[in-house]
Amino acid sequence: MRRYEVMVILDPSLDERTVAPSLDQFLTVVRNDGGTVEKVDVWGRRRLAYDIDKKSEGIYAVIDLSAEPATVKELDRQMNLNEGILRTKVLRPDVH
Amino acid sequence: MKTRRAPRRKPNPLLDVDSIDYKDTNLLRKFVSDRGKIRSRRVTGVTVQQQRKIARAIKNAREMALLPYASRPSA
Repeated sequence: MRRYEVMVILDPSLDERTVAPSLDQFLTVVRNDGGTVEKVDVWGRRRLAYDIDKKSEGIYAVIDLSAEPATVKELDRQMNLNEGILRTKVLRPDVH
Repeated sequence: MKTRRAPRRKPNPLLDVDSIDYKDTNLLRKFVSDRGKIRSRRVTGVTVQQQRKIARAIKNAREMALLPYASRPSA
């Protein structure tokens, strides 16, 4: 098990209140594979430093979790398939 | 012969910072120029190790659109 930090930028046209539940849906993968979700921090709408997919804003969220490497890889893959998610970044805070 | 005076060392601006996080854009903004370029160590006056971490953090922040990539000021 390793600690990970996952940052997600979501489509700004989404309702901010639906962000936390929809993120939680993604995180079921982590829970099913024996990982734990420590924190989900939704920053809210924020201006992007440059446009992504012609959008100048995004909803940021940072998730702290512990899981196996393969689990996180799968989580990242599933998130990138979703059209409501503009970008993700997975980091290990212990090494960075 | 004129002797060149050694340039005075800048005080290290990061003495009180122990970790450099790519999410801390306010801190990272001090280390980029107004065009978004990473400032050199000669300018910033931090240690080699800190400069490396700063550069890494800025690049991560750029990927997540927290900081701009270097650019010409838009017309």
